[in-house]
Amino acid sequence: MSSQLLVSGVIFGLSLASIYFLISIGLSLCFGLMRIISLDQLLYYTVGAYLAYSVSVATGNLWLGIGAGVIVAAVLALLIERVVFRRIYERELTFSMITSFGLLLGGIGAVKGIWGVVPRPVRMPFDDQINLFGTDIPVYRLLVIAVAVLVYIGIWAFLNRTIIGKAIRAGIEDMEHVEGLGINAARLFTITFVLAGALSALAGGMYAPLIMVDPHMGLEVLAFVFMVVIIGGLGSIKGTLYSSLLVGQVVSIGSLIYAPLAIMAPFAMMMLILLVRPTGLFGSALAK
Amino acid sequence: MSNILRWWSGIFIAFAALWAAHWVLPLPFMNEVVVFSIYTIGCNFLLGRVGFISFGQPAYLAVGAYGTAFYLYYFGTDPYLGMLIGVLAGMVFAMVVGLLFVRLRSDYFALVNLALAVIIFYMLQKVLAEITRGDNGLWFLTNIASSGPFNLTRPIQFFTFAVLMAALVWALYKYLDDTLFGACCLATKVNETKLEFIGYDNFKIRWLAFVMANTTTAFAGTLYAIYLGFVSPEMTSPARTADPVVVTILGGVGSLWGPLVGTLAYTGLRDVASKFIGNWELFVGLILVFIMMTNSVGLYGTLEAWARRLFQKNAAQENKA
Repeated sequence: MSSQLLVSGVIFGLSLASIYFLISIGLSLCFGLMRIISLDQLLYYTVGAYLAYSVSVATGNLWLGIGAGVIVAAVLALLIERVVFRRIYERELTFSMITSFGLLLGGIGAVKGIWGVVPRPVRMPFDDQINLFGTDIPVYRLLVIAVAVLVYIGIWAFLNRTIIGKAIRAGIEDMEHVEGLGINAARLFTITFVLAGALSALAGGMYAPLIMVDPHMGLEVLAFVFMVVIIGGLGSIKGTLYSSLLVGQVVSIGSLIYAPLAIMAPFAMMMLILLVRPTGLFGSALAK
Repeated sequence: MSNILRWWSGIFIAFAALWAAHWVLPLPFMNEVVVFSIYTIGCNFLLGRVGFISFGQPAYLAVGAYGTAFYLYYFGTDPYLGMLIGVLAGMVFAMVVGLLFVRLRSDYFALVNLALAVIIFYMLQKVLAEITRGDNGLWFLTNIASSGPFNLTRPIQFFTFAVLMAALVWALYKYLDDTLFGACCLATKVNETKLEFIGYDNFKIRWLAFVMANTTTAFAGTLYAIYLGFVSPEMTSPARTADPVVVTILGGVGSLWGPLVGTLAYTGLRDVASKFIGNWELFVGLILVFIMMTNSVGLYGTLEAWARRLFQKNAAQENKA
């Protein structure tokens, strides 16, 4: 394999990893804190991408579109959290999984109703290339990576430097104690859920120019997001970061070697890791 | 003897009624209902008896269907042998996958299973496209021989055969409920520590239950293949992974008749709804969320409660008189 191919492969993998990270961080946080599996994150991802499309077509500005997507998805997440999830936090895990899958399917139906089933292209805001190690790399991909890095730093600072973030971290360890300290658990849950939805929408908006936007785009990344979350361990932020980097590179480099490997290799890797550690690399051995 | 008769009578009446329904309802609809209900009972068993939520059922359905399809498309013509091959393929697949999967915690199990279904979908659609013909699917209706006790190429004879098979599957699951194994399955859902303390192996019980349920699902897959004479990756597409779970919950989780009632309602609703609204996903999603939110016991549970109340009222009146 030539070094040029390798460099562009690694950059491609990093940008994939960034998208996976932005979506799965929400899934992981929701599981860690609220003990729910929120498959509807993929709906916010789709909504974010579609709004990026619509607004960028209307105004010609992609950044505006991404911003609109994040805001709309956050409002949607707030609504869904208030109306649906608030009632099922106490229930078993399967409960939230089925309900959120229903929300995802229903949402896809609604998206089809609003925007139709035809895949839509989103214009790149700029198509500059930059020369890196003798290879031309699209700047936009580097930007996606930069955004993910910024988000990671932001999340880290939020969880470690603010009182709400510290409460969330404490809640992941032991929710009852946090409630015992007089912290409003319901508000904590809402903040986490809305944050997760907004990040998923950010992922969708950022990724939209690199792919075609279509109603099933959420289901297409679903398998990869799951693999990231499972390999990293549910509820672990560090694990999500490492495993998204891992899965992104395996998908990208794997597809360079032999195209079908892009799908099969991460799956095989996940099975191997689960054989050794049934709760993923960084997953805690929490009770069911 | 009378015990055996009573044991069978419920199944006999239900499936005789189901068979008779083809005089009233269109035959393609009834065929769909029968095969889909076999598809659902595996999921129902996993969810209701073992406590595994499986969004990956389409994977096993597809393995069964493609097992049959490969035989009928490339090698032979005997539909019965094709079915056997499909079921065996599904069983072996479930045995291998089960070894890896049933060790996982229920949340990981659900996620991994769904990932498996998506992987199988991409394999059938892209990776193995040379032998599966990708999205075009395999067509082999004309390859199916019309020999054997039932001429499976004719819808009405296929229907009779499918109803017979469904009755046998139901008898099997009804029998399982009475056995030690069935009790163990329920125990592993409710309290695995206690079960292990008594001396049973949770892993073995779960694995056996997993293989059983998914072999049933693969059997439904082979029936689909023979009935339609056609398979395509569409059957395991990510948008359809929830179908059996929706039907299971709609019908009532864990009850023997839930899958049948649920399938009737779901298929009926789908046929009616698709005439008025083209947006199927929105509809399924809303049903799913609605049922979960109202915390319902499913259609069968509701019907059963009604029937019981009705009978009790009648009995009370008779007592007074």
